[in-house]
Amino acid sequence: MKRTNRGIRNELTAPQKTIAWLVLGLIFLTMAIPMWNVIVMSTSTALDAAASGMKLWWSRFSLEGYKYVFEVTKLARPFLNSLFVSTVGTVIQVVLSAFAGYVLIQKELPGRKIITSFIMLTMMIPGDLTLISVYQMNKQLHLLNSYTGLILNGLISGFSILLMRNYFTSVPYSLAESARIDGASEFRIFGNIYLPISKPGLATVFFIEFVGKWNSIMLPATLVTEQKYYTLPLMLKAMILQTDVSQSGAAMTPDNAIMAAIVISTVPLLLIYVFAQRFLLSGMTLGASKE
Amino acid sequence: MNQPKTAVRRRPGKLVRALHKHRFIYLMLLPIAVYFILFSYYPLGLGIVSSFQDVKLLGNATFSGLSNYRYVFSNPQYSQAFVNTLIVGIGTFVLQFVWGLLIALLLNEVKNKVAKSAIQSVTYIPYLLSWSVVGGLWILLFSPSGMVNGFLELVKGAEFSPIVFMSEASFARAIMIFTGAWKGAGYYAVLFLAAIVGIDPSIYESASIDGASRLRQIFQITVPNIVPTMKVVAMLGIMGVMRNFDQIFIMGNASIYDKVRNLLYLIYTDGITQFKIGPATAGATLVLVATLIISAVARKLMRYDDTYED
Repeated sequence: MKRTNRGIRNELTAPQKTIAWLVLGLIFLTMAIPMWNVIVMSTSTALDAAASGMKLWWSRFSLEGYKYVFEVTKLARPFLNSLFVSTVGTVIQVVLSAFAGYVLIQKELPGRKIITSFIMLTMMIPGDLTLISVYQMNKQLHLLNSYTGLILNGLISGFSILLMRNYFTSVPYSLAESARIDGASEFRIFGNIYLPISKPGLATVFFIEFVGKWNSIMLPATLVTEQKYYTLPLMLKAMILQTDVSQSGAAMTPDNAIMAAIVISTVPLLLIYVFAQRFLLSGMTLGASKE
Repeated sequence: MNQPKTAVRRRPGKLVRALHKHRFIYLMLLPIAVYFILFSYYPLGLGIVSSFQDVKLLGNATFSGLSNYRYVFSNPQYSQAFVNTLIVGIGTFVLQFVWGLLIALLLNEVKNKVAKSAIQSVTYIPYLLSWSVVGGLWILLFSPSGMVNGFLELVKGAEFSPIVFMSEASFARAIMIFTGAWKGAGYYAVLFLAAIVGIDPSIYESASIDGASRLRQIFQITVPNIVPTMKVVAMLGIMGVMRNFDQIFIMGNASIYDKVRNLLYLIYTDGITQFKIGPATAGATLVLVATLIISAVARKLMRYDDTYED
């Protein structure tokens, strides 16, 4: 960084700075304290977690909440369901998005305009508004209560296709043309020229879509009624429902176990955030920028 | 190899050759086309058709004209859900916008890199989590033994009796708006910060040489320069107003549904759990049309499409 105006300190005045820090501190606490409370409660005893108070520190450290979710709630199954469905779905999605993105950059492709609008139009059809018909269609295809159904629904998105297309357009078209003249097959051009250059794009699609699938609530809630196909969000919903005042009488999941389940469903996302933050942020700012 | 010899036959030959040349491209397109037809276009068509039909659990559906639409318009549940959708949706958007902008503007003044990235991470992480996590967390925090009541007890003294926030209809909308903004503010902050970073530093330099205070620079340089991003964020937010299912699905309960049940959630319960396919698809079609109209009007009003024209 070059400083042209060494003499002038371009900063807020001291009182302004104090106010800024106070407001920022307040915002930070509003965001951080609830999350901290989750961690403390999840590692407290059921008794301590149910006691009143702010619960910002342990009275007794205990892992019984985690024991409860694995032994009583049997959270391992929904966790593995979520992991399986999200991973398989995301991998397929990355491959297909790359295919579609590659199709969209073919300049001499007959029917290119129609294909482009065919794909772009799907972004105008919000999946949540066709939910009832999506349910009927899945019923007709016998996809309700199945892993195939959970993977197939929401498998491709216009957003990811556009993202891949944007990465591919940065590859000079002449490069592909000359390879074509040299007799390289279309698959080799795609695999040896385009894919290696677009690795960051592939990673972005992977992480964004994985987070989306991991967090998906509406589609699983529509497609699945049998508990053995529950994904994590559905299981969490079922656990929360048991503590609902209107549902009294059902076996209650203790608060520390719910908080433990929340921590467990958060861990994979935090790992992604820590190790792939760059891709998440670039994808999300891209999603909000105009074409 | 039979090359076409006459000029008349060259045109179709060219097309055939272009098709042949791109045969692998069409092969790559095939799974995507099948997917979109099955999972996007077919449900869309089916939904529109069903909205004009009387769909029965058994037997064939019969054409029923506009009766499903009449049902939706005359049913007080739908008008109530419409009001809830707008109040909670717009409230959340406005709070989230202000909250996110505040985070971005203040963070931009923070020079300490560690503090800056810590605050940004903590504010952004809730956006990354699903509503089952964020909703579950806040349901427990708002419970009688939860942190919010613990805090109130600390402030108001021992005679304070805990409030059952989640089943108190008068708090319901405020809680949805607050938790919605809590979850999304960090995302808007990221978008605003990305725009702020892109502002040419020399503008600030010359302003400070001219004697403009930092506070004045914030309001006269930073804020005006991120107006285009604000418009994009506003468009995203407005289009999202109608589409908030997850939060109500997780956080709603029987004692507060009258205040917070929105259109998407009502369509889901009507269609999937009560099997009133006709009314539910009519409702969904109306929301779809409304979303398209709202985003078109918003685009016009904000002169959104001119934003990036040079």
